Amino acid sequence: MALLNYIKEQGIDAAAASSVITLAEGGTAELYLNPNDMSVEVSEQQTRSLIILHQTDDAVSLSVDVAPFANIRIVEVLQGRGCVDCMVRQQTGSRCEIYTILLGDATADYTIDLNGKEASNMLRGAFVAGGDERQRMGVRVNHFSSDCQSDSLIKGVAGGKALGEFNGMVYVAQDAQRTDARQTSRNIEIGREAHIVTKPQLEIYADDVKCSHGATVGQLDSEAVLYMRQRGLSEAQAKRLQIEGFLKDVVMSLGELGEVLADELTAKLETL
Amino acid sequence: MLTVKNLHATVGDKEILKGINLEVKAGEVHAIMGPNGSGKSTFASVLAGNEKFTVTEGSVEFMGENLLEKSIEDRARMGLFLGFQYPVEIPGVTMANFMKMAVNEQRKFRGEEPLSAGEFLRLMREKSKVVELDSKLTSRSVNEGFSGGEKKKNEIFQMAMLDPKLAVLDETDSGLDIDALRIVATGVTKLHTEDNATIVITHYQRLLDYIVPDYVHVLYNGRIIYSGDKTLALKLEKEGYDWLINDYKE
Amino acid sequence: MAEKDKEILENFEQGEYKYGFTTDIETDTIARGLTEDTIRLISEKKQEPEWMLESRLRAFRHWQTMKLPTWAHLDIPEIDFQDIIYYAAPKPKKKLGSMDEVDPELKRTFDKLGIPLEEQMALAGVAVDAVMDSVSVKTTFRETLAEKGIIFCSISEAIKEYPELIKKYLGSVVPYTDNFYAALNAAVFSDGSFCYIPKGVRCPMELSTYFRINAEGTGQFERTLLVADEGAYVSYLEGCTAPRRDENQLHAAVVEIIVEKDAEVKYSTVQNWYPGDKEGKGGIYNFVTKRGLCRENGRLSWTQVETGSAITWKYPSCVLLGDNSVGEFYSVAMTNNYQQADTGTKMIHIGRNTRSRIVSKGISAGKSQNAYRGLVKVAKGAENARNYSQCDSLLIGDRCGAHTFPVVESYNPTAVLEHEATTSKISEEQLFYCNQRGLSTEDAVGLIVNGYAREVLAKLPMEFAVEAQKLLALSLEGSVG
Repeated sequence: MALLNYIKEQGIDAAAASSVITLAEGGTAELYLNPNDMSVEVSEQQTRSLIILHQTDDAVSLSVDVAPFANIRIVEVLQGRGCVDCMVRQQTGSRCEIYTILLGDATADYTIDLNGKEASNMLRGAFVAGGDERQRMGVRVNHFSSDCQSDSLIKGVAGGKALGEFNGMVYVAQDAQRTDARQTSRNIEIGREAHIVTKPQLEIYADDVKCSHGATVGQLDSEAVLYMRQRGLSEAQAKRLQIEGFLKDVVMSLGELGEVLADELTAKLETL
Repeated sequence: MLTVKNLHATVGDKEILKGINLEVKAGEVHAIMGPNGSGKSTFASVLAGNEKFTVTEGSVEFMGENLLEKSIEDRARMGLFLGFQYPVEIPGVTMANFMKMAVNEQRKFRGEEPLSAGEFLRLMREKSKVVELDSKLTSRSVNEGFSGGEKKKNEIFQMAMLDPKLAVLDETDSGLDIDALRIVATGVTKLHTEDNATIVITHYQRLLDYIVPDYVHVLYNGRIIYSGDKTLALKLEKEGYDWLINDYKE
Repeated sequence: MAEKDKEILENFEQGEYKYGFTTDIETDTIARGLTEDTIRLISEKKQEPEWMLESRLRAFRHWQTMKLPTWAHLDIPEIDFQDIIYYAAPKPKKKLGSMDEVDPELKRTFDKLGIPLEEQMALAGVAVDAVMDSVSVKTTFRETLAEKGIIFCSISEAIKEYPELIKKYLGSVVPYTDNFYAALNAAVFSDGSFCYIPKGVRCPMELSTYFRINAEGTGQFERTLLVADEGAYVSYLEGCTAPRRDENQLHAAVVEIIVEKDAEVKYSTVQNWYPGDKEGKGGIYNFVTKRGLCRENGRLSWTQVETGSAITWKYPSCVLLGDNSVGEFYSVAMTNNYQQADTGTKMIHIGRNTRSRIVSKGISAGKSQNAYRGLVKVAKGAENARNYSQCDSLLIGDRCGAHTFPVVESYNPTAVLEHEATTSKISEEQLFYCNQRGLSTEDAVGLIVNGYAREVLAKLPMEFAVEAQKLLALSLEGSVG
């Protein structure tokens, strides 16, 4: 509920479909609560910042067109049991950052088409699944044009009897030379009944490229736990702090909003 | 404060510590030197309680209690601090958050009330000055993206925050440039009082120009083979270890 | 030459020539097509016991209910399963007088691969004194193996001679219900190898060497069963670096390996089947199901160097059933021209403290498509499972494709699984550096590719590692222009 409080503190009427909020570190963002299907356009050289909060069980599709040299940042949070299907089309020189957090029994699929040269995309995702939840995050990045850059990092934690699933794809078309693409999926399971499936995929048809992906399940640095215990934290405290940190890392660069999201993630972790 | 008697320790099948004897009293600074592979870091790790090592023989008494039966965190809460040679990164965990937990755990152990948010912030600001630590670093993830020098300063910052009875500093000077060395060393000296003690593990004399030791011990092949005062360090700097090791062998 | 030996040779040669000049009247084949009658005919010709026929029929009836799988990243032209001859007696090769009669292109390949002369002759079918050597070598091997109680024979022989072993193990790792091609194979398999290493026995030689000299025309639906009983060890290599042609286009083999408690099996494959011409016409389809089962403390290591075939479709896998068992997969898969490969591995962790390691190096050149497909699955009871996978792709030229499709699935929180993959090309800087040291670009590419594949090649039995290196360089011919 930290997120809702944060919004209320901004003086936003929670019933309004969209409003503008001011960010602590400067600038404003457009806030959308439980939108229906949405079409977003960012015109040439324009910058837009969106915060989208889904609390219902609806299926929503989001279509984003980013014109040449435009910038967009989307922070998307799914707290209900809905699903989001987001399509992003980026033109030359455009930049797009997506932060996506799954806190409810939800699915989110992102398809990013890099249609113009030198476009760049960064995606940071986190999902925490507990109880009987079935969460899925899909990220498909299509490098259709040359000299583009993409970097996706998705972290997941599954506890209780939940299933956390990641489907990733980096597709590099034949003439998309000098592509620089990275996709990383890191996952932790808590308890004996939880289940993680991760499928990062690469489909590459061009040769002058730098593409890599990595996926891990269950790897937390034991050295870090040792370090924390030497400073007086119990093993349980250290492990807990480490998993919290594991997730918070995804939103740390979002300033005050990031802290609010970090609180939401920690709250969900505590229910596992 | 610390009494180590005939300490033997192994990692896997290999015995690294082969009978260490050491006595450290409050107010003292001890330096431990020795060639690579002699067991200096292992000694520090064993004191801290790193489960990778097994103590096969000997005893360690700290503050009147048997240290070897305590867990890593209890040793820390009792007042033992290890300055790591390679401080690890902990993504997503801020320095501030980490330190707040550590400080309050210690207070709880001693039966004291935890610090309020305001008190804690004041403490952090005060202690960062000890090592001229940029306050911005406290909101970053622990050691993440820190340079070598920043990591070492961060260790001493934590030492300042936790105010240990015994600080074991494992090669705190490695990888530091002249300025960083000065800051780190000065910080350690500032923190030194009559009531606490420091064990400095190092290769180089230069650190000991700032942190003047009462005793210098040479650790070789798992044993302390020679002890002297600060002039020993100067001699080792000039002549290396060979003369000492050859003597020992005979 | 001793009198006795000469006698053996004469008999041998006469025997061969007797067959060599027979006309087709005697040729033992059956009509095209696949029905239950075909199966009965096959079983009859092989003089199999009743239980074997029953087993084939069960598989065939099941196959009829199955659909052709299409999920692979492969473009497979339609196969008419009724247009295949399912039984032909092994055709003896026509014997040549000397190496001079061998196709010069073939000889050039042999030389480039560094294959020893005796083996070249055996492979090319040259009938000279050297054949005598291979006969005596064969005999020596047979004796050494027999002394240790090691059984190494054709599977047809095993069905008759060792039915208890066959009944116990055949189909226990790859049952006919497993997949379309496994069912087909279980119904119509022609022949293959059976190998049994008794308890505590360490097989004293690379079974590969024996295999090479014994190179008959390989059947279309080969079935191999390898059993290492408790505490046994064997290193087995199939295939060879020499290019193999066959009039049959489809090869759907099944290899089952059982690693009993405390045993270890190293199974290496070097495959250089005819890959089709430069236009992508012809070429062999290599669809194989290979799987091993490990019991407590068992260890199975698959190593493969795949450079041939028009289409390669295989996932040598390990079922890590026993506690502390270890599965490994090392692969170099190279595709050039219009070749396609969809290969990888499945590591299934079921016991406790199991470990698996996957190192896959794909190399794509020309207009080929090369995909790695893998599964690492940790079952609920599989405490402390550990997996490390490294799947790299090297692209040579900009018209080929390299793909990676891993699936990592865990049902146990103590598992530590790690997968990494990178895709890259040979850099200009590397080539320039080699050129500047006097190497031709072609040689440079060969050098770099071998460095890239080194970790995998190091796992092969030594003499094959050397040939495999040459094979990689050879297979890259024409890809750098």
